[in-house]
Amino acid sequence: MRLLATFALIACCSSSLAEPAPLQLPPAPGPATGLADSAALRATVFGTPPQDIAPLPESVPMLEMDLALPWRRPVPQIFWFDKRLRVWFSAQKRPAPLAIIISGTGSDANTSKLSVLRAVLYGAGYHVLTMPSPTFPGFIVSASTTGVAGDLMQDGHDLYAAIVEVVAHLPKKTQITEVDILGYSLGGANAAIVKSIDAAEHKLHIHRAVMINPPVSLFATIGRLDKLYAVSLGNGDAGIERFYQQLYAALANAYRASGRVELDEDFLLGAAAAVLKTDAQFSAAIALSFRIALSNVFLAGDMYSGAGVVIDPAHPPKVGDSLEETARILRSKTFAEYFTRVFAPYYVKRRPDSTVDSLVAQNRLEIIGDQLRSDPDYYCLTNSDDLILDKAELAWLIKALGTRIAVYDHGGHLGNLGDRQQAADLLAMLDGRWQGAH
Amino acid sequence: MRRAARTACALAALALAGCAAREVQFHRWPAETPADNNKADIARMQGVQAAAAAASKPVPPQAEQTASAPEPAAQPVKPADAPSLQTYDPWGRLNRFTYRLNTRFDEAIFLPVANGYRRLVPSPLRAGVHNFFANLTEVDSVINYTLQGRLHRSVRSLGRFVINTTLGIGGLIDVAGKLVHLPYEPTGFGTTLAKWSMHPGPYLVIPLYGPSTFREGVGLAVDYATLYEINLADLYRGDQSWGLGVANAVDQRANIDFRYYSTGSPFEYETIRFLIVRKQLIEDAGLHKTKPLPKPNPEEPAGK
Repeated sequence: MRLLATFALIACCSSSLAEPAPLQLPPAPGPATGLADSAALRATVFGTPPQDIAPLPESVPMLEMDLALPWRRPVPQIFWFDKRLRVWFSAQKRPAPLAIIISGTGSDANTSKLSVLRAVLYGAGYHVLTMPSPTFPGFIVSASTTGVAGDLMQDGHDLYAAIVEVVAHLPKKTQITEVDILGYSLGGANAAIVKSIDAAEHKLHIHRAVMINPPVSLFATIGRLDKLYAVSLGNGDAGIERFYQQLYAALANAYRASGRVELDEDFLLGAAAAVLKTDAQFSAAIALSFRIALSNVFLAGDMYSGAGVVIDPAHPPKVGDSLEETARILRSKTFAEYFTRVFAPYYVKRRPDSTVDSLVAQNRLEIIGDQLRSDPDYYCLTNSDDLILDKAELAWLIKALGTRIAVYDHGGHLGNLGDRQQAADLLAMLDGRWQGAH
Repeated sequence: MRRAARTACALAALALAGCAAREVQFHRWPAETPADNNKADIARMQGVQAAAAAASKPVPPQAEQTASAPEPAAQPVKPADAPSLQTYDPWGRLNRFTYRLNTRFDEAIFLPVANGYRRLVPSPLRAGVHNFFANLTEVDSVINYTLQGRLHRSVRSLGRFVINTTLGIGGLIDVAGKLVHLPYEPTGFGTTLAKWSMHPGPYLVIPLYGPSTFREGVGLAVDYATLYEINLADLYRGDQSWGLGVANAVDQRANIDFRYYSTGSPFEYETIRFLIVRKQLIEDAGLHKTKPLPKPNPEEPAGK
């Protein structure tokens, strides 16, 4: 499904609205480290090989919880299906610690990556609660107090309030001995922020937090992703159309050669190597997957803030209206454009003395740097070839956390999630048994 | 009787309204089976690697080709043969309405019933039910493979049907697949129309069924009419036909890993539409290996 999803992400070619941006995002420092690393790109796209996954339990119970949160803002018609916050809970039958996992950029509470983490933690005896990313449209609509996602502290407060509400409504027979939190990618940074908020509000009493492949500076990371997109696909319509045509032809030829009667998931798994071959193609697939997540965040932010970049606030689309043109316009929108035209105007207006530079600074893990340095219950797992970090950011993480970080040589971005070594280290960290990297 | 039906409908509507208004809704899903899933992923990966290794060696001509007229070498699809990024959807407003209707029906009735079925009915029994309905479709496959001129596959489907109906106890056990290594590869009249060079036509969301195209919609109707006319063992016209129809639908839903709007995105309709039509066009390219693909018109949406 991953390939098909990537294929879908290029559904619309771009068109540009070349209006001057009123605010400017500072340029991202340095290239993405993964740009030059073929192994990192491939690991990021294909994920952990199944034979390397840690031992998993036979069975994990699944309870879906759909919550109507009292602070939900009025729901735009085209988001009619996102009114309730959807989370998943897997309960042990005996008293156990609760592990709360926060999903990555733009993702819901039941991704394949969450399934692996859920299984590892459930098998180790945890109750497991999985939460969507605060950048998932279902969260933005049902749980955000602003509708403009991407601000670490604001998203952290929204997430914290939602988790408090969910935990209060867990099945009554659930017996929790301790609460820990973790997350992957952006969810890793979210998890650390939520723990820092809890240290002040004491509603959950979160003990330990583990960040898996987190960003250090949100806006440096998105700058890198924009650069990755521009390098691999260009800025106009031609690059994305060319990539689509290459993918289509490669898939069609692989399908013809296979002799199959249906294009199914098994075929796609086998065809992957024939479809994505060059570093540029792997880069394009990664950049596209982030860009698709952005299109939802952009649309919701534009509608909730009334910025009017793609949606006329006076005439919002109704249920049943075609969104094809909107989708096409959004495909060309960069992370930088979201920042300058939706995010920054919204927050600068609402936060006295705020500037673009201060917003960038507020969206670094440095805002909880003191806690990361002094509180022994923050941990991190990452890779030295993770393409969302540069060398300086990785060095900052290592310096801040000291021995409470494990840095693996390979894996790219999340390409070793749930492998034997990482799963063992994760459990050691959550359990307080971590003695530092071997 | 009519009053009872009305009362039942009113109670169901009240129950649904009550559920919709609750602060928290709980839905128990079938347990995940991570260990088995991982084993299946490893086996699948090994299969893929073995297939890739086999593909790198020279292979003799396919049996299908020797059974019918020999075909010249396939012409590779070029990037310039890719259809437009746009999709032909002249019935868009109706389709969007049907997509919403299907979403609500799926969330309120179809998915809970399928999940209940997966939770409460033991796996071997579900496999038997699935095999039973799959075996019935072999009748349609025999006819359509013949109409497509793919006689080797037609004979294979017939062989599967005979073996599974007899040795497999009425189709409950897939003996042909497991012991004789004849894989289950169904086809239908939609594919026959594609083989006869009919384009997918307008995108079509079929009520209660899901996203498709006009050609596949016609294919489904003809497939059902064919089975109804043949009426094997009076399964399609007797009193039990309604019950079997519902069981077939639940079995199919329980085996489809898809949930409406799990993406959370208002662009889901456009995404699924794009995928369904490209999937059909690639499958069409597989059916016409020797025929040059028509030069795509960038002004014309895909599927037209």
